[in-house]
Amino acid sequence: MTLESGTVLTGLGVGLKAVVAEVLRIRPHQDLPSAAKHLGDFQKEVEALRAAISNVAVGLDELALRAGGTSAEILEALKMMLEDEELFEAANLQIEAGWNAATAIDLAVDEFGELFAGDEAFEERLVDLKDLAKRVAADIFGISLGLEIPTQGSFVIVGDDFSPADTAQFTKAVVGVITIKGGPTSHTAIICRSRSIPAVVSCAGAKNLLDGQLVLVDPVGDRVVVDGKDSQATTAISFVPKSLDPIIPVRANIGSLEDAIAAAASSASGVGLFRTELLYLSEKYQPTREKQTQSYTEILKAAPEGPIVVRTIDAGSDKPVPFLEMPQEENPALGIRGFRLIQNHKDFIIDQLASLESARKESGREVWVMAPMISTTQEALEFAELARAHGGYKVGIMVETPSIAMTIKDLEGQLDFISVGTNDLSQYLFAADRMNAGLGALMNPWQPALIRILEKIASESAEVGISSGVCGESASDPAFAIVLAGLGFQSLSASKSQVGAVRNALSAVSLKQARGVAQLALAQTSAEAAKAVVLEELSSL
Amino acid sequence: MPTTIKANLIIQDPIGLHARPAGQIVKLVKESGLEVRIGKVGEELVRANSPLRMMALKAKTGQELVVEIDTEDQALADSIIHQIQDFIKG
Repeated sequence: MTLESGTVLTGLGVGLKAVVAEVLRIRPHQDLPSAAKHLGDFQKEVEALRAAISNVAVGLDELALRAGGTSAEILEALKMMLEDEELFEAANLQIEAGWNAATAIDLAVDEFGELFAGDEAFEERLVDLKDLAKRVAADIFGISLGLEIPTQGSFVIVGDDFSPADTAQFTKAVVGVITIKGGPTSHTAIICRSRSIPAVVSCAGAKNLLDGQLVLVDPVGDRVVVDGKDSQATTAISFVPKSLDPIIPVRANIGSLEDAIAAAASSASGVGLFRTELLYLSEKYQPTREKQTQSYTEILKAAPEGPIVVRTIDAGSDKPVPFLEMPQEENPALGIRGFRLIQNHKDFIIDQLASLESARKESGREVWVMAPMISTTQEALEFAELARAHGGYKVGIMVETPSIAMTIKDLEGQLDFISVGTNDLSQYLFAADRMNAGLGALMNPWQPALIRILEKIASESAEVGISSGVCGESASDPAFAIVLAGLGFQSLSASKSQVGAVRNALSAVSLKQARGVAQLALAQTSAEAAKAVVLEELSSL
Repeated sequence: MPTTIKANLIIQDPIGLHARPAGQIVKLVKESGLEVRIGKVGEELVRANSPLRMMALKAKTGQELVVEIDTEDQALADSIIHQIQDFIKG
């Protein structure tokens, strides 16, 4: 089916700028078949291997030609390694032993790998060789590896959804992105937001787009227009700040020292979410308190002026910390993660709290500490007691389970603050796996059920004198941020690239106007209607 | 019976006999059409048309290498040896 000029495909927009460019379809690459024997035709396998090696070599030549310079020399050396007759002979012996061509080349590379073992410079080459063996195997099976995104020109790339390995290959020729699946919190959406690439995700109609077709990617309009023009792009509401300060403070989300430095250069008032797990995910052994304190001190010192809200470790079996035992689970999102790790790793959590306290004192900064994945009042109290025993910071929890959202008032007098993680709250509220690309529409923050539970959380925490904020992805959307302020949240935390836009929006309206907008959103019965009515109201203000 | 011309060379490349010089040697040897062997002094030599075998020598900076070329053409051999010396200069 060919899409007619002017056809509108709806999805969920990411970003504020629109772009017109030609479509480049990216097909998912299949996994390579596992090791296997051939059917007895020795000569056929040898010929298949020879042909595949020659094809890959030609590919390397083409790459070298494009790259030039040192890269070209390296590629040429790689090509010679691939065409090494001794490697071919070693592979032939494996084919004689019964292995098919693809398995044989991999085994032959491993044989040479053993000869290189123990020498760092050569072990790196082994990685290259293994990659070449993979390319040869892919050629044999007719499978395309990698995204093959051009480095020149301008393309809107279209695919089911893109993994971190895929998005890492985005070149500067990628000026727009459309995914058929995936939601507003998908990896693709997060990357496009942070790199300011206009995107429309969860756009089912995009499956009929063809290579070379011109499209308008119109994220503000949540749509893609076939043969659309720049002039058709929905204009983002341009928020003209009316006051110097936003109606509620806008903080930044960070996860590393680099983030802290970048956030300090933005207009963020402090940090609303410091994800600490990044400091541990790559460590083989548990870092000492001294080392943790040092890392935290550096980051606290670099962070933008204002309070810094630190989240204790948020890991689970899908995001395991190497030095903490985390057995595989059937449903990691519903498993032992976040604060639930205290069951087996209380010492680690205490170490973290103690290190944060030392860093707080050393840096002289205002630190708030919160635990993720709290489901009951008892868990909240257990964390509060533990945190207060180890530090002089403000103590709070993340609200991301519907169960704790139902019992906010029971926390009266026990906590200083709460912070809502809207991504996980949506996942648990809608029973929709946020990593499942097919369920993106349920992760839309404009869903009425989410807006209504947010209203309950904000009003009940205000009632019992607990400060409330939102640090989920939804707080990075300027229009939704106004709704959140109107619902009664007292601070927001956005990804650092969005801080300025959110701040602008919250400086363009009065608290009274925000409350009016929030009431309009609360009255809607679909996500589409909620967003439409809010945008209409905001553009008329 | 072709004669064999031998020479000893020192690796000056800071990374040793790695992929790039190995590749350059192979290219040269293949172009010459000659049988050339290379290896560490006192050890078994490998054929210089295999970059992988040469890399597997794990020859490091400062290591003395033996080069053997099966030819009677002294001038050609000298030229090849000279170029190999150049490749392992780094």
